[in-house]
Amino acid sequence: METIRDMQPPPHIEGIKHFIDYATVDEVLKSKDFRQGSHQESQPFFGDSLLTIDHNDHFERRRLEAPLFRKDALEYYERKELLPLITRSLEECEQNRGEDGLVRADLCLLVRNMLARISAVTTGIDGVDTEERTDAFRTYVEQLGTGATVEWSTEDHDEVIDRILSIRADFVKEFFAPSVERRCALIEQYRKGEIAEDDLPRDLLTLMYLHWNEAWDDELPLREAALYLVASSQTTTHAIPHMMMHLAEWFQAHPEDYEKRFDRDFLKRAGHETIRLHLPSPALLRIALRDVTLSDGTEISEGERVACLFTPANRDFSVFGDDAKKFDPYREVPNVKPWGFAFGGGEHTCIGRTLVTGLSARTDNDEGTDGTLVNIALSLFDAGLELDPNDHPSFTELSYHDAYGRFPVVLRNL
Amino acid sequence: MSESELHVKIDELICEGTGYCVRIVPEVFAIGENGLGEVLQERPSSELEDQLEEASILCPTRAITY
Repeated sequence: METIRDMQPPPHIEGIKHFIDYATVDEVLKSKDFRQGSHQESQPFFGDSLLTIDHNDHFERRRLEAPLFRKDALEYYERKELLPLITRSLEECEQNRGEDGLVRADLCLLVRNMLARISAVTTGIDGVDTEERTDAFRTYVEQLGTGATVEWSTEDHDEVIDRILSIRADFVKEFFAPSVERRCALIEQYRKGEIAEDDLPRDLLTLMYLHWNEAWDDELPLREAALYLVASSQTTTHAIPHMMMHLAEWFQAHPEDYEKRFDRDFLKRAGHETIRLHLPSPALLRIALRDVTLSDGTEISEGERVACLFTPANRDFSVFGDDAKKFDPYREVPNVKPWGFAFGGGEHTCIGRTLVTGLSARTDNDEGTDGTLVNIALSLFDAGLELDPNDHPSFTELSYHDAYGRFPVVLRNL
Repeated sequence: MSESELHVKIDELICEGTGYCVRIVPEVFAIGENGLGEVLQERPSSELEDQLEEASILCPTRAITY
């Protein structure tokens, strides 16, 4: 099975000027002469969210939401929420022991379950507690993710949008509206002086209703919440199966490294290398705000849309070396982030990057957290993860995204 | 905290020159000729600590330490 595939450009970028080399993509993302041009069709799901607003609006929204990513908040999410949930998700797997005594699981589903509650906590969705409620919530988030990436869908786009809007209405009734109601009541108590600000939940919805902006429409918190729910789990759920596949191949070729499956620094490097090669968001479109001439002489007219293709840019030989298309956890690339454009770039750099890479990523001058990739990978190896020799992984056919649809594994230590 | 305990740095590897830090603490940060963030005062007054904290969290690439 080919585990590193070339990007299939989706139909929605056909005919658009596009960039595939690292330097030009970097220049466009950093330039203030462009604005966000992605998510045109998915406006009903992400419109006016942090992802789609630019410049001053983006700065102000980011300023409002930044406290969610303070060091103490990241430590809380990781230690108090993520680690117990990983343990609980693995314990639930034990209920699926086969007649041969082995525990098997679909890694795609398992990781989505692990991430569901952490995304609920950071966003401010209550009631994701029991296994049944977590399943229901995870399914809603997956569907919202389908709507939010409708541009990449291989299905009829209008049908997808109609279907997901209907599902979103159910999500509002079951999860979103009660969560908002509880937060608004707490904010009311706080304003009356009945509770302290520290007693308010630390999540996106609380921040938005506490600092309500009259320019916002009533549905904006729902779209912002959808962004957080989808984005906070997307990178990790996308990356972990790829990471496990690459590490299985690496350990086969380098058996001397097998014990490093418990080495946090090695796993960190493997995680960075995985998201460099398999980006959760493989392309981003930008719209020129004025006539622009790039460093390489490319001319772009005001209002023109251009596409930055992150997958080929992250495999640019001139930056990542002659073996750029290969997985190498020991890769050293001077003056470039080890994950390249996995979290975008410029002011639109993913606000939740530190949730995934941790605060002690190789580029952070700080000790703190390890992030979701390292913590989940460690727990999986501790559970004895091996690829199922009789049931091979397969890629999804529902999207142009480079994602596994099924990833059967055996958890030998459970 | 005494003045000397703050030591502001920008990691040039990850700075992308968004200028958010300049908007929060213009006394300490500027955008240099290379388009990236530049530290004007490496050891600013401790009165600026809260603003430095906000700048470090708000920086889209988390390039600031202090």
